Amino acid sequence: MSYFESCLHSLPEGSDSPSKMATVARRLGYEGIIICNHTGFEKFFRPDAVREVKGIKVAFGIEIVANSPRSMRSRVASARARFPFVSVHGGSEETNKAACENPEVDVLFHPEEGRKVLGIAAARAARMNQVAIGFDLRPLIRLRGNSRSRWLEVVQRNLNLVRKFDLSMTITTGSRSCLDLRAPRELRALAEIAGFESHETEEALRYPARVLELNSRRWAGPGVEIL
Amino acid sequence: MRSRLPVLRMRRRYIAFEVDSEETVKPKDLGLEIISCQASLFGDKGASMNRIKLISFDGRFGLLRCSYSRVEESRAVLATIYSITGIRAAIRVKGVSGTIKAATEKYIPKLSLSIAETSAENDGRRIELDGVSGWIIHSHGREIDLSPDEKNRTKGSDTRYLGLTSFDLCGGCDDADGTADGLRQGDNCIQP
Repeated sequence: MSYFESCLHSLPEGSDSPSKMATVARRLGYEGIIICNHTGFEKFFRPDAVREVKGIKVAFGIEIVANSPRSMRSRVASARARFPFVSVHGGSEETNKAACENPEVDVLFHPEEGRKVLGIAAARAARMNQVAIGFDLRPLIRLRGNSRSRWLEVVQRNLNLVRKFDLSMTITTGSRSCLDLRAPRELRALAEIAGFESHETEEALRYPARVLELNSRRWAGPGVEIL
Repeated sequence: MRSRLPVLRMRRRYIAFEVDSEETVKPKDLGLEIISCQASLFGDKGASMNRIKLISFDGRFGLLRCSYSRVEESRAVLATIYSITGIRAAIRVKGVSGTIKAATEKYIPKLSLSIAETSAENDGRRIELDGVSGWIIHSHGREIDLSPDEKNRTKGSDTRYLGLTSFDLCGGCDDADGTADGLRQGDNCIQP
C-alpha cells in the first residue's frame, strides 16, 4: 500500500512518544510515518525506541518555522544535512514564496494557514524546484461552521492552482496526539469532502514514501546520482 | 404508508467502528455528537441523504447504519469527530457490511467484555524518565497512558494524558526499566 502519514508531532511538542505514534499508525494501516516536529522541538523523546516497533517505517524530519525568508533559508540549509525530510510551516506570503523557491525543501505544509491563497509565482517556483504542497486536514476535523467553510474555500483555490501547475501534493492530519491520527481511508474520505479527486488522494498518500526514497540516495547535483 | 415494493426499498450499509477515547463514552453522547458533526459537515439536506443512525454501542465497539451509496460520506462524518462531551476521542472504522449480523460477526470481537472501565484514578504506579514524569492511568498491551506532573505538557494537543509505550521505558541501562516501581517491559507484565 505504501501509505505514509507525513506530518506528525510527537513528544515534546505533541503528547505521544514516537513509538506510541508508530504503534497506533501501524494499527490504522500505514506503512510508515514521518515525525516532523516544528523548529525548537527537534530533540525527540526516545527516538531509538521506535526501532522496537516492528512492521512500520518511521522517519524523523523537521517542519521549519521562520519569521523571515532569510532565517528560513539558513535553517533549511542546516536541517538538510541532518534530516531525510525537510518541510516548511507555511502561512505568510513571503514564507510560502521563499519555501517554494528553495530546492532543498521537500514539502510546504499548510500554505493556506494565513487564509492566503498560494501565489502564481510561488506555484511556478514550486514546479521548478519540485516542492510539494502539503494539505493539512486538521482544520477540517477541528473547526466547525463559518471558519471551516472559509478554510475549505481557500483549500479549493489552492487545489486549483496545484492542478494547474501540476504540482505534487501530500495530505496529512498534522497530528499532535494519536487520537488525531486517522486511517488512510478516512483521510481519503475527508480529502474528498475538501474537493480532492480519488486518484489525487491516493497519489498524495504515497508521495512522502517517494521523497524519502529519493532523499536516501546520494546526489552530486540535480539529476546526477553517485552510485 | 411505508412502501412494500422491494424495488423501492432503501439499501443500507452497516459500519462497524471502534471508539478510541481517553475515558468511557456514553452511547447517548456519541449519538448526539455524530448527529451534530453530520449536520455541521453536510447540513440538513446532506444528512437526509446519509441517513445515519447509531444502531448499537457498548462503550468501545459500535454499529452505525447509513445509506448504501453514502458510505464514504459517513466515513468522513466519523473522521471529523474530535471530542465527545469534552472527552478526546477518535473513531476508527473497522469495516462495512450489508447486514447487522455480518458486520457484528466479522468486525466486532465477541469478547469485548474485557474492556475495563477506564477511570481517571491512577493505580499508584509512577514513571520517571528524563523530561517526562507522572502517574500511570491505564496500560493496555504495550501502550501506557500517563498523567503528567506538568499539566502544560499536553497543552498543544488538547489531550489529558501522555501516551507512551513500554519501549520508551527501557533506559540506557539494560537493567533499568525507567520506572520507580518496577513496571517491567513485556506484554504480560503490565497489568492494569
